[in-house]
Amino acid sequence: MKFTLNWLKDHLETSKDLDSIVQTLTNIGLEIENVEDKSKSYSDFTVAEVLEAKQHPDADRLKVCSVKTSYGTFQVVCGAPNARVGMKGIFAPENSFIPGTGIKLKKSKIRGVESCGMLVSEREMGISDEHDGIIEVDPKHRLGEKFIEVFNLDDPIIEINITPNRGDCLSVRGVARDLAAAGLGTLKENVLIKSIPGTFESPIKWDKAFSGDEEYLCPGVAGRYFKNVTNKESPLWLQQRLKAIGLRPISALVDITNYITYDLGRPLHVYDADKIEGNLIMRFAKKNETCLTLDEEKRECTSDMIVISDNQQLHGIGGVMGGFDSGCSLDTKNVFLEVALFDPISVTKTGRHLKLQSDARYRFERGLDSTSIKWGVDAATSMITDLCGGEVSDPVQTKVLDNKNPKIIFNTSKVKSLGGIEIKNDKQKLILESLGFNIVEKNNIFEITVPSFRSDIEGEADIVEEIMRIYGFDKIPLTDVSDRDNKNNILSSELKSFYKIKRIIANQGYLEAVTWSFMDEAVAKIVSKDVIEIKNPISSDLSVMRPSNIPNLLNTINLNKSKVINNGKLFEVGPIFGASLENKQINVATAIGYGNVNGENWNSINQDFDVFAIKSDLMQILKNLNVPVDNLIYENIENKIFHPGKSSSLRIGKNILANFGELNPILLKSIDIGHSVVAFEIFTEKLAQFLAKKTSTISAFDNNPYQMVERDFAFLFPKSVKANDVISKIKKINKKIIEKVSIFDVYEGEKIESNSKSIAIRVLLQPIEKTFTEDEIESLSSKIIETITSTFSATLRK
Amino acid sequence: MSLSVNALDIKKRIERCKNLQDLEVIRLEYLGKKGLIPSEMKLLSKLSIDERKLMGQELNKLKSLVEEAVSNQKIQIENEEIEKKLENENIDITLPQKETLSGKIHPISQTIFSVIEIFGNLNYSVEAGPDIESDFNNFSALNIPLHHPAREMQDTFYIKNRDGEDSVLRTHTSPVQVRTMLKTKPPIKIIVPGRTYRSDSDSTHTPMFHQVEGLMVNKDATMADLKSTLITFLKEFFEIDDLKYRFRPSYFPFTEPSAEMDVAYTKKNNVLKIGEGDKWLEILGCGMVNPKVLENCNIDSSVYQGFAFGMGIERLSMLKYGITDMRGLFDVNIKWLDHYGFSPLDLRNRAEV
Repeated sequence: MKFTLNWLKDHLETSKDLDSIVQTLTNIGLEIENVEDKSKSYSDFTVAEVLEAKQHPDADRLKVCSVKTSYGTFQVVCGAPNARVGMKGIFAPENSFIPGTGIKLKKSKIRGVESCGMLVSEREMGISDEHDGIIEVDPKHRLGEKFIEVFNLDDPIIEINITPNRGDCLSVRGVARDLAAAGLGTLKENVLIKSIPGTFESPIKWDKAFSGDEEYLCPGVAGRYFKNVTNKESPLWLQQRLKAIGLRPISALVDITNYITYDLGRPLHVYDADKIEGNLIMRFAKKNETCLTLDEEKRECTSDMIVISDNQQLHGIGGVMGGFDSGCSLDTKNVFLEVALFDPISVTKTGRHLKLQSDARYRFERGLDSTSIKWGVDAATSMITDLCGGEVSDPVQTKVLDNKNPKIIFNTSKVKSLGGIEIKNDKQKLILESLGFNIVEKNNIFEITVPSFRSDIEGEADIVEEIMRIYGFDKIPLTDVSDRDNKNNILSSELKSFYKIKRIIANQGYLEAVTWSFMDEAVAKIVSKDVIEIKNPISSDLSVMRPSNIPNLLNTINLNKSKVINNGKLFEVGPIFGASLENKQINVATAIGYGNVNGENWNSINQDFDVFAIKSDLMQILKNLNVPVDNLIYENIENKIFHPGKSSSLRIGKNILANFGELNPILLKSIDIGHSVVAFEIFTEKLAQFLAKKTSTISAFDNNPYQMVERDFAFLFPKSVKANDVISKIKKINKKIIEKVSIFDVYEGEKIESNSKSIAIRVLLQPIEKTFTEDEIESLSSKIIETITSTFSATLRK
Repeated sequence: MSLSVNALDIKKRIERCKNLQDLEVIRLEYLGKKGLIPSEMKLLSKLSIDERKLMGQELNKLKSLVEEAVSNQKIQIENEEIEKKLENENIDITLPQKETLSGKIHPISQTIFSVIEIFGNLNYSVEAGPDIESDFNNFSALNIPLHHPAREMQDTFYIKNRDGEDSVLRTHTSPVQVRTMLKTKPPIKIIVPGRTYRSDSDSTHTPMFHQVEGLMVNKDATMADLKSTLITFLKEFFEIDDLKYRFRPSYFPFTEPSAEMDVAYTKKNNVLKIGEGDKWLEILGCGMVNPKVLENCNIDSSVYQGFAFGMGIERLSMLKYGITDMRGLFDVNIKWLDHYGFSPLDLRNRAEV
């Protein structure tokens, strides 16, 4: 919402300056968006007179002028053809900032002649594109008069943000009323609203065609016929006001409707009455009906839209835009007026359907003063007769739905109990009355009648807000909110694992990324069949919810490669989506690693980050999350994300905690990646059970004094045997004594049979009660050999 | 009778010895089976008791002296040899070390950690909820009916549902407030950080972003408590005690009265400085929960009241950490992440241990 300071002062009697008005607007909830005050930025430019204009000695098209200002005479080199002795123009002194060019003016020599300041063109002043010559002002203006005064640009333009509830402040008068309530002045009488009697009966009548339960869609419409008017250019003051708020003046009749829309928040429409056949009616559009609107677009109407029609054709779309064919032009002699009310939701639907925004729609959507149907006609009448002359008919109108102003019973203690601030009853009453509320006071109870222009006010909370915003939110006192007596559990175990895992993964050298929850459909469908589609995606490559975090992370590989970063360890913790999942999503910590993560170095083997490298990170991460990693069960992964032979799930009980391995080359190919990438996924919600373990359950340290013993074995296994099965089998032989089983060599190749592999195992034994005897060790060794050879069809290598 | 050798002479002889072979020769000469001291020991039995005692003491003394001198000299010789060796052991210590990648926490996470810590100290619990929401939880329950102009403030992504009403990608984290109110009885005191979505993409808007919201419902929370809570938070978050702020009326369908909060800032050499100056930056929206919202969530609005607030994590991150381009947060540029990311050990709590 835009207006100028002088326009505001049409409605507000005030002695306050611009700054305090601007500050108050924000303080009462009408947030300032912008203030354009040319009186500051244009203060240097004043009227000056050319005393002399001689030919420049070295340039045919330049003149050397002597320019007289109110503060001295200056020599100016000027190239304008209209610079001549005796003329008055606008002078810009040295060091002034020229708005049209954005340049600070410096003293200079032009072809050897000194030039101090300049005479400016309209373009240089930023008020038009005119640059054929310098500005000439009427000789009646005295030297030193300010440029902005001569051009009537001294009226500051104020732009405020109106929240959707404040339709009443989409008018200068509404803003003035709020400011008056805030103590910045008094609301003047509305001079536009005066009753002018008609001299004849209107040849056009208003009608509407809605049945009882649809009547609310168009509660009423009124109008008036204007005979023998003269449409012409609007007077300068009106043109300037419209220009100031960014509207283009068209003709007096059209400008009047725009002016009243902004001045009083009352959208109107004027029809060229000679283009109307018969009466006008408000009705639903018929199927396939079209309307050529004022913007010369043919609009396809649907049967839930309210349109304005005569006997022949449509003349407008209700609350949104008038029709082109009956629009007023400079030739218009007779005018018919529309002042209507529409249901906000209906207008919203229509406008959205047609993708058509207008100042009228904007106001109808936010709700109009239900009494404006009466005073709207009066305001339009007084302006039209004033500016265009002619005769007016008696007003005509349809039946208007009765709209009773709602009443609210308000307990004045509510300001304290909800707002936390003490405001006396008489102050509360004063504020509400100045905002147009009517109050009957009984002890601490106000019986409040809400004014017709405040359809947003529905209950006690709204009244508290009205009182407090005018009183001042800055006066709300501060309280102690530290709440020291309570100690809530801040994070549930699920959320703790969601947040904690970020630090733990980062601690293993991974950079945290945040990527979209969306991704490309084609890639998503490689990864999963259970893909959720977005109806209105932001772009075609972000059209589905990601069923895995891995593709988004993979996408970054090539982006970074272009910055010559060929290795990386990246992770993201966030949701992945699937239609069959509970709540359609689960949280996953996903990481990828690729390239030589040690960098090109003289001292390291140039080896790419591989499955066992990421497995080592993964196990360390799981350990840090209290997962008993020795109990993890390996299981094949059933999806197309991982390489089928180089990946595994890790399970404990029923829950799969993680997947890891090399990624499937088909997936990599779809993202244009030609090298291997390894990855893991940790399902964070499944980790909660381990994090929930209390730290107080740590057992006492067993300081076992007996000598530990190591024994090495090498077996020849069939290739299909899994190392982890061997390890757990050995551990199971005696969990108390066998402290650790490690694999220190694996061999497959020419030296042994094909289809077999050699695994060398080291077993660490811890005696419990006394040092082992040689016999005891021997017997345990035999037990291990026997178990392994019989379980896995293995043979001991000697 | 007395010893035929002088202990001091022997010691000097040993200390003059320069290599281990010579030292062994000397050791054997005195301590070997046929050495001087064992030989003398054997002769003791031929002496009288008094002489034997005296002579025995002398010999033992000499033995330990020789043993100690030999052992010391051995260490001495060995060390000299090592030192000689070390003189030739030179490497170029300036060669570069192996690189290891350092892991970093994303600024968005770091901000969320910080927000959780501050509100955790005020006894707020953290809640979470799904990103794909029902229209009821995201809009209707929050007093944003269909066709309300407020819906145009939030361009919504819709999700196709095979059966029934379309879902939405939550446009704010407020639906978690609705879920919490529907499942728990007051008092409620929660914050909700999370991903949110709006169909908007330009230099200052991304289709996905993060919010944190707070909700307090009890019998007596007021606007004054709300204002105080937010100021406490902002001062702690920006680590500015005399933060200059503005608390002004605004509008949200789900709160009444509603307010927004601005913090003052100055811009010098293209760097924002928060907390002082005469320009204002909007930082959060808040208000007293609209009684209609409480009723929609089965909470008796004649008994309970409360407040809610919400703010953008990206904006908080950018202001606190001096990030100028919002798109950078989501670009996954490794150099950027390394530059703006935080060490996982950087806990930023007040004790900072």
